[in-house]
Amino acid sequence: MMSKNKEELYQERMNRYYTAMQNEKPDKVPIRAFVAEATGNIAGMNNQELTHVAQNAFDAAFETFKEFDWDAAMANAVNLWTGMTESYGTTYYKVPGIQLDVHETFQFIEPTTDEKAMLRPDEYDRFIEDPNEFVLNVWVPRASKYFLGPGSKNTTYNNMAWLKAGAGMVTFFNMIGTQVERMRRELGLVSAISGALKAPFDIMADAFRGFRGVSNDLYRRPDKLLKAVEAVAPHMKYVALSGADPEKKVPICLWMHRGATGFFSKEVVKKFFWPTLREITEEIYAEGHQIIYYAEGKWGKDLDLFLELPEKSIVFHCDKDDIFEVHKRIGHKFAISGGVPNDLLAFGTKEEIRSFCKKVINEVALDGGYIMDAEALMQNDTKYENLKIMTDACNEYGVY
Amino acid sequence: MNEKPKKPLKPGVCHSWEEKRKEYEEIRGDENVVKEQHEWFDEQLYQFLWLMVSHY
Repeated sequence: MMSKNKEELYQERMNRYYTAMQNEKPDKVPIRAFVAEATGNIAGMNNQELTHVAQNAFDAAFETFKEFDWDAAMANAVNLWTGMTESYGTTYYKVPGIQLDVHETFQFIEPTTDEKAMLRPDEYDRFIEDPNEFVLNVWVPRASKYFLGPGSKNTTYNNMAWLKAGAGMVTFFNMIGTQVERMRRELGLVSAISGALKAPFDIMADAFRGFRGVSNDLYRRPDKLLKAVEAVAPHMKYVALSGADPEKKVPICLWMHRGATGFFSKEVVKKFFWPTLREITEEIYAEGHQIIYYAEGKWGKDLDLFLELPEKSIVFHCDKDDIFEVHKRIGHKFAISGGVPNDLLAFGTKEEIRSFCKKVINEVALDGGYIMDAEALMQNDTKYENLKIMTDACNEYGVY
Repeated sequence: MNEKPKKPLKPGVCHSWEEKRKEYEEIRGDENVVKEQHEWFDEQLYQFLWLMVSHY
């Protein structure tokens, strides 16, 4: 029997991945790996080397892909290039190898007061009127120690920062394109996502007001917060669609977190988080693109909301939710991914990992509609051996 | 251009073609060519801005 060439392998894997995402049964359960800093364990790099030098992250990811029989993977899940963000003086990261130990993962710095927030309470009206103008003229100067706002006396650092940022961004997107093409050509491996989305409420809580700020706004100025969420929604949709797969096979990825259990109540989620996200999801699906709801944390209390969405419009990714419960509640409508605990991949025994994978395959993947992956991005606590065990278990037990 | 635009900027736009066009007394060749290139570069800036925002 002739062995497959890489393009044939790619088409086989794409078909498997796509079929499962349509909540149907492919030939076997696909594996889609979101390996982030775990690639450093395999390529022999620490987090500083991965995060500060983008080419290192792409190379480490590729070295990792060569080791495993996966169907799809994220081209580079170490999704931040701190060498670039430092070149234009970003103020909101702690960086491995600078403020952090070389083995730690980069951290976001949350504003602790209204004065430190990127959007202050008395600026809501300006933001609501035109979020893009606010980002360009107010947010960016606050986000960097070099960028200056209108009316400021210009500096050389400001001029340099804009050029470096532009050069960096073009370079980074070129690296992604090169990696995706190389994955297909040399490994027959599918690039798992195309395009990124954040819920408008999450953007307000992450990038503009911070968690504390939004928490206060819910009581002190809820109408303004809601209008701001609605004002920023078209920009989130535009950015997501601008990166979407023109073939409409590979999904957009929605990175979800602030609406998770433990942060805000169901009432807040229903009023502030869900309406704009539902509308964006429906509009994006109407254009032919699925969205992975990468539901970081626990979202069990909101599954009834997600059931309002069109069938197959999303792939629900399980982090801390019980994947077996999620499957019972929404598996008839949406494909499911993830659910393999990162703890198991860090500390589990061979028997524990194989047993869990087998249970997921037998129960969640029984009629198709399941894609195997870890609960969350695999960081540098993931053991190579355990990732091998998960992969082998899926390829052994997951054949229909 | 340091001033706040007179109309809200729609997604994908930082410096509208409407505003940019005022800088040219005359465009002797194909205006669409000039417009498309302006809009392409403008959108690169837009993508950069919202990439920064989304990564926070």
